[in-house]
Parts: sequence; structure tokens; C-alpha cells
Amino acid sequence: MSVKFFGQFLIDQGEIDASHVREALELMQDSNPTFGELAISMGFMTQRDVSEVSAEQRQRDVGFGDLAVEMGLLEPEELVEVVQRQRSQRMPIGQALVRLGHVRHDRLGLLLDAFKADQAQYEVEEIALPDGLASHRVSRFVLELLPRFLKRVAGLDARVGDIRRFASLPDFADIQVSVPLEGPRRLEVVLVSDLAFAEALAIAASGLSPRDLDPEMVADGVGEFLNVLGGNAAGAVTREGHRIELGPPDYDAQLCDGWTVDLAVGVGRAALVLSTS
Amino acid sequence: MPRKINVLLVDDSRTVLAQLERILGELDDLAIVGMARDGAAAIRLAGETRPDLVMMDIVMPGLDGLSALRTIKSQFPEIEVAMISSVSGDSTKAAESFRLGACQVLGKPFDQEIIESLVEGVRLSLGATTCDARDH
Repeated sequence: MSVKFFGQFLIDQGEIDASHVREALELMQDSNPTFGELAISMGFMTQRDVSEVSAEQRQRDVGFGDLAVEMGLLEPEELVEVVQRQRSQRMPIGQALVRLGHVRHDRLGLLLDAFKADQAQYEVEEIALPDGLASHRVSRFVLELLPRFLKRVAGLDARVGDIRRFASLPDFADIQVSVPLEGPRRLEVVLVSDLAFAEALAIAASGLSPRDLDPEMVADGVGEFLNVLGGNAAGAVTREGHRIELGPPDYDAQLCDGWTVDLAVGVGRAALVLSTS
Repeated sequence: MPRKINVLLVDDSRTVLAQLERILGELDDLAIVGMARDGAAAIRLAGETRPDLVMMDIVMPGLDGLSALRTIKSQFPEIEVAMISSVSGDSTKAAESFRLGACQVLGKPFDQEIIESLVEGVRLSLGATTCDARDH
């Protein structure tokens, strides 16, 4: 029911338990070179650079490579090369589980096929994005997953309209809630809607009856929907090797620049704004 | 008679707490013994209610879920903790959860069957298919 990684899928399927994942992660950690080790071996960083980044990383929750670029100790194109090398040399969790004897070698292929089939629903087509939005890879996933999650979470049929420049808030904007997706470029995903749509979403998301809803719960329901949408989009794009962090919902989103799509929905009116400012 | 499973729910979103309450409410022999909206309250309630299972969001304001997980597992290692993640495909946070002792990482939207099998797994690990000897 969500974007997940292979170890989690195997637990959900009852193939292994958490202790097996823990052992596999330890084996992978012992076997896979760290980003810093690879960057040194490729001649991009010195041991001293790596120590500096590690020290800074203890203060901030930012990926090692991104931090090294930010600190001027690694070029962006070198970051890409190290990530590619890391991915090509990395022992996958499936292989670690086989090596530890928790998954049979002859069963791994079948399980990987089942995993791919489970996750196929989160693959997106290469939809055409305008310049300025195309570089925000996660926006592709947000737009593709939006109608699917409206259906799954809230049972709402929705069609996504054409992408156009955001000009001003629509006149139906009773509620506007956003979640930030932090990566190399920040993207704010904002759901703007009238009260009818927001209430329908909140009722479906919480399972509460309309009489138990209060204004905080309505906004919270919209925020939780954006959490699920943004989280799965971030998970999908992270799996492609682009690190994206989902931030907490903001219930007083201010909009000034970006792109917008109208949502054709059965209940009320809504639009999604992808703010790039 | 199966032993009742006591569950503590932790999430800053009231919507998520309501969702979990609804899903768990359909399961037999299970009691929700508390709800918390941040990590600090989760640690306090875990000590007060000693649940069998904590279901806790990873990202929360104040003390986050991973920090609370670390404390709960160090103070009460017998408590099973399942983490909840909106970004469940993010293997970094999921891996960190498992390293810190989580028994499961639940993605969203929730899958009722996976939650049911999580609860059954906890019940089995407690040897809870029969009356707990301490009840006699």
C-alpha cells in the first residue's frame, strides 16, 4: 500500500523478521565502502576533508555528499560520480539476506519479482513538465501520484488539469496547507481547496463522522493527505538516488511563485500548487 | 483466552491517531492504553502504561520518533515498537529504525492486513495464545 524498500516488503510478506533486516544492514555496513572512503579512493577528497564533513554532519541532518558540496569540498559532478560508484558497488539487502541464510538463493528472484509487481503502482510516466519545474524531479511523482492517492485515501475520483504558472490564489481558497520537499532544490507542495473538499478529505482520512470534525481536524486531515502524497513521492524519488526530505505540514502556507494544476473532483473545488520559490 | 495486547499510539497528527484507533478497534483482545503527540510524551506514557506495542511516527515536532525509540528500547527493551513513516521508501530512516530496535516500519496509507499481522506477531512473541500465567 505504500512505497517501501525491499527489507520492509519481506517483513510485510512474513518472509523474514526485523532481526534479519538488522543483521543484513550490519553486513552491508561492514561490506559497503562509505561515501567518504569512495570519495578518497577516487581522488576527490582528502581524509581531512572527510573528517571535516563528518564533524559538521554530527550537527546537521544532511546527507554526507550534499554537505560536502555545500562546504565546497566536493564538486557537484564529483558527487554524481561517487553516488554512481557507490550504487554500482553496493551490496543489495537481498544479497545480504541470502549470504546470511535468511532468504534462499533460489527464492530471491521470485521475491524480487513480487516486490517489483507490488511497487509498479508507484512508477510514473514521463509526463511533460514546463521548464523551471522539470528540474524538480519529485514534482513528476507528486503530480502522477496525486489522483491515485486521492482515490486510495479518500475514495475521491480526480482528474488533474493542465500545468500553468501560478498567478494568484483562487477565489475558493478556504484552506491552504503545504508540505516542503527538501532536496537539492526545495519544492513546496500546497493543496488549496474550499471547505467542502477539505472536509471530504478529512472525513475519509480520519474515518470520523462529520459531526466529530473541528476546524483543526479538517486542516490536519488535509495535512496528513499531503504527508502521504509527499512522503510517497519523496520515497519514490529517493529510490532513484535523489535524496529528498519531507518536512512537516504548514497550515498557513504563503504562496508567491510556482506552478499550479486544477483538480476536477466530485466534491467541492481544489487545486495543487507546486511552489518553487 | 488470548491475552489482551496493550498498545500505545504516538503521532502528532490527530488524523493518524483516529485512523489507527479505528483499525485497531476492529481487532479482538486489544486495548489502546494511551496516545501521545510527541516523543517526550511517548517515553513518559511508555513508562506509565508499559504497553506491549508502541506504534510511533518517525517525524514529529519536539523529540522525534527515532530519539524516542532509542530511549524506549533502552529503558524498556521488552516493549515492541513499530515505527510509522510517510517516507517509507526512504531506506535510510527505515534502516535506522531497525538498527534502533524497531520490529516493523509501517508505510502510509496504512494497510490493515499488515497492521493485523503486526499485532498477531506481537501476540505470538508474548506467548499470548493462552492465558498469561501472571493472571492466575
